[in-house]
Amino acid sequence: MKLPLVEQDLASCVSCGLCLPHCPTFRVTGEERYSPRGRIEAIRQVHIGNEPADASFIDMMDSCVQCRGCETACPSAVPFGRLMEAARQGLAEHTRYQPWYRRVGYRTLSHHRLVLVGSRLIALAQRLHLVPSRRLGLPDRLPLRATALRAVLAPAGAPRVWLHTGCVMDAWQRDVHSAALAVLRVMGVAVSLPKRTRAAGCCGALANHGGLVGIAREQAAATMRSFPGEDIVLVDSAGCGAQLKDVGHLLDTDDARRFSARVMDIHEWLAEHLDRLPPAPGPRPAHSVAVQDPCHLRHVQRAHLPVRRVLAPYLNLVELDDDGLCCGAGGAYSLLQPELAGQIRNRKLEAISHCGAAMVASANPGCSMHLAAAGLVVRHPVQLLAEALGLLDG
Amino acid sequence: MTRTTAVEPRLNDALVIELAACLSADRVHTDHLERALYGRDASLMRGDAGVVCFPRTTAEVQAAVRVALRHGRAIVPRGSGTGLAGGAVPVQQPVLIVTTKMVDVEVDLANRVAWVQPGVINLDLTRQLRPLGFHFAPDPSSQQSCSLGGNVANNSGGPHCLAYGVTSAHIVAIEVVLPDGELAMLGGLGADPDGYDLRGAFVGSEGCLGIATRIAVRLTPNPPAVNTLLADFVEPAHAAAAVSAIIAAGVVPAAIEMMDQRITQAVEAFVGAGYPTDAGAILLVEVDGLPSGVAAETAIIEQVCREQGARSVRIAADEAERMLLWKGRKTAFGAVARVKPNYYLHDTVVPRTKLLDVLQQVYAIAERHELIVMNVFHAGDGNLHPLLVFDAAEPGILERVHAAGEQIVRASLEAGGVLSGEHGIGLEKQSFMAWQFTQPDLDAQARLRDAFDPHARFNPGKVLPAGSRCGDLAHLDAQHRDRLLADGVWV
Repeated sequence: MKLPLVEQDLASCVSCGLCLPHCPTFRVTGEERYSPRGRIEAIRQVHIGNEPADASFIDMMDSCVQCRGCETACPSAVPFGRLMEAARQGLAEHTRYQPWYRRVGYRTLSHHRLVLVGSRLIALAQRLHLVPSRRLGLPDRLPLRATALRAVLAPAGAPRVWLHTGCVMDAWQRDVHSAALAVLRVMGVAVSLPKRTRAAGCCGALANHGGLVGIAREQAAATMRSFPGEDIVLVDSAGCGAQLKDVGHLLDTDDARRFSARVMDIHEWLAEHLDRLPPAPGPRPAHSVAVQDPCHLRHVQRAHLPVRRVLAPYLNLVELDDDGLCCGAGGAYSLLQPELAGQIRNRKLEAISHCGAAMVASANPGCSMHLAAAGLVVRHPVQLLAEALGLLDG
Repeated sequence: MTRTTAVEPRLNDALVIELAACLSADRVHTDHLERALYGRDASLMRGDAGVVCFPRTTAEVQAAVRVALRHGRAIVPRGSGTGLAGGAVPVQQPVLIVTTKMVDVEVDLANRVAWVQPGVINLDLTRQLRPLGFHFAPDPSSQQSCSLGGNVANNSGGPHCLAYGVTSAHIVAIEVVLPDGELAMLGGLGADPDGYDLRGAFVGSEGCLGIATRIAVRLTPNPPAVNTLLADFVEPAHAAAAVSAIIAAGVVPAAIEMMDQRITQAVEAFVGAGYPTDAGAILLVEVDGLPSGVAAETAIIEQVCREQGARSVRIAADEAERMLLWKGRKTAFGAVARVKPNYYLHDTVVPRTKLLDVLQQVYAIAERHELIVMNVFHAGDGNLHPLLVFDAAEPGILERVHAAGEQIVRASLEAGGVLSGEHGIGLEKQSFMAWQFTQPDLDAQARLRDAFDPHARFNPGKVLPAGSRCGDLAHLDAQHRDRLLADGVWV
């Protein structure tokens, strides 16, 4: 089966195997079929070697978390993410890889009101003990209601930014957005929010990872339209940030490329404006915080260091000794591949327990929910920052 | 490309059923696509894997070997599959014993060893030992991925083997499943284990004498102080002269690595370590030990390099800079793919004094064949790694690459060198064995192999060329190729 990939990308892998230990699924299985090198070889066999795209091939592709840890480890600069997306796109177009109900699910994310209503229904059902949250990988108590977010006004001449609010994150972790707005307010920054009527909700990352490129393009284009003008677009979810920075590639238009160039992870922006952050009002907390790098911040955006620059003045940070290996969350991965996701998380839990930190800072909603479901105290770095600045009292 | 048709294993084959009974059904794989993934390692060669097994314990390895023997099947052990000489490429549709699920480590500080299972990754062991103040000294470039079982099989080297010695110096004892399925302990923790040093025979035997299931590796204390220097030369000749001058000055650094301009440029693009991309060659030199000794040796090396014409000598200011300098060296092979998608290399060793001479011949050979060559190697012990980089899609280029490779090997042997420093002979260099060894030499090696594996079940078709035994026909090259093709190998 011909997959919609660039053959040069396929040829760039020399099979050296240096990616193996950086792949979460290889780490927990030791099997080539669950390694980047093995997956690339499988793609070659299907694309060039006429092997069928059978259940075995689908399993090899579908089991990939798409953390892209192999990309930062690869000395040959193989664009693995692109190959994997192309393989999944081919599978979604030509096989039953993406059944109708999943397509409907991804499409639902475009309709933010529906997401909010659905989320509240689940929250209600949780209170009535009708939903086995743990088994579904959901947070224990989804919010029943959330405080409305308000744009931040600032005098003329102040820096102006947008804050991307997204879909699931806005429904489940709006308090992170609130913390981000509180921090930006004390920094004297004007913050605009996408208009609800215009907001697309989902940025298209989940559909894109699932090979549903058509849906992903529609969602990305709608998201782009909800941020008119030239102001920087701040994103406080690593997965969404990675996707929005890639919209230029996905839509392949000048508008999209200009839009992608305006997107920044919120920590990147904060790290460039440290002088606007006030000193901590109280003494430095005694406990230490482990920094967990979301893969789409570290391996895709390669913007994990600013998190440290932003938090270090206020908190005792400790590093995990696992080379930034994935935690197994992977967007919808922990729902679709619970067994592998659990095994991968066990390695992360071990690394966190070694470092002796009381809590974990994670800049991605998927990672934080996945880790919190294992009993850890997980906060978004922006929440920790707002707390350190005394902005979250009461 | 020639490929002989082979019998597909099926789930209801007696072989597969029995293997599954010994291990478990989910660790015996026969899927067609998956077997294709195990058809190759990090070399350019390809074969057909029969059945892929993932044992976890010694007993499971032993049981799998016995099943394979009963069915008359060949057995190929495989670790991480990072070998460059085709050592793990399956020949004769074998039962592949993959050790990647055998990753237990047991540290025995009293005896200063760690007992490891063969699938443990080299760098994982060193990291695990770090809080205890120890490490495993051999550090191949593939250190982050390669397995200790593979290190034993290939007697692997690495930059730091100049002062510390290669793998054989760090293996104390090996528990081995022999080719008849029996279990044996080679070597031991005592100072002088009984009998012949079969441990020494096993290390470097490339999976032909059995499979290691537990390995006692020596723990090396972490040096209290380390300095890494980067010396920058306009002329490769001056860099080569500096290598000999450093040794002559009475210093044996932990490592001396040399990189020529092309590879320095390719690596710098990936790592951004601040390598000087306009240098003709750079030397990466490391000294370790007690702080005062390290300071004194650093001063000597810096002076010697400057005397030999170094434009600058940079000393890594901290651990982060040191790691960055090494990262460049250790990812050099992969980084060449930024220039062309394929590479091919030999790892001959030449006397240090002939380094420059052979290096110049390497450049001339590459030029004659209109190929790009990049040199990155263990200069301290004269272990060359001339990387011929190419695009396999270009018609006729493989022939040129192989011809150039052969001439490089010949030039190295004529300078008094040997075939392979650390990558092993595998499938790739068998036909060159007769250039280095006489018929009686080869015969002696064949008889050692026969003593372990009289029916040639373990990793058949590797290392020794057909015709090694006295009385075999001596038409090595032609026969070698025919047999490979008959075995279903693509070259």
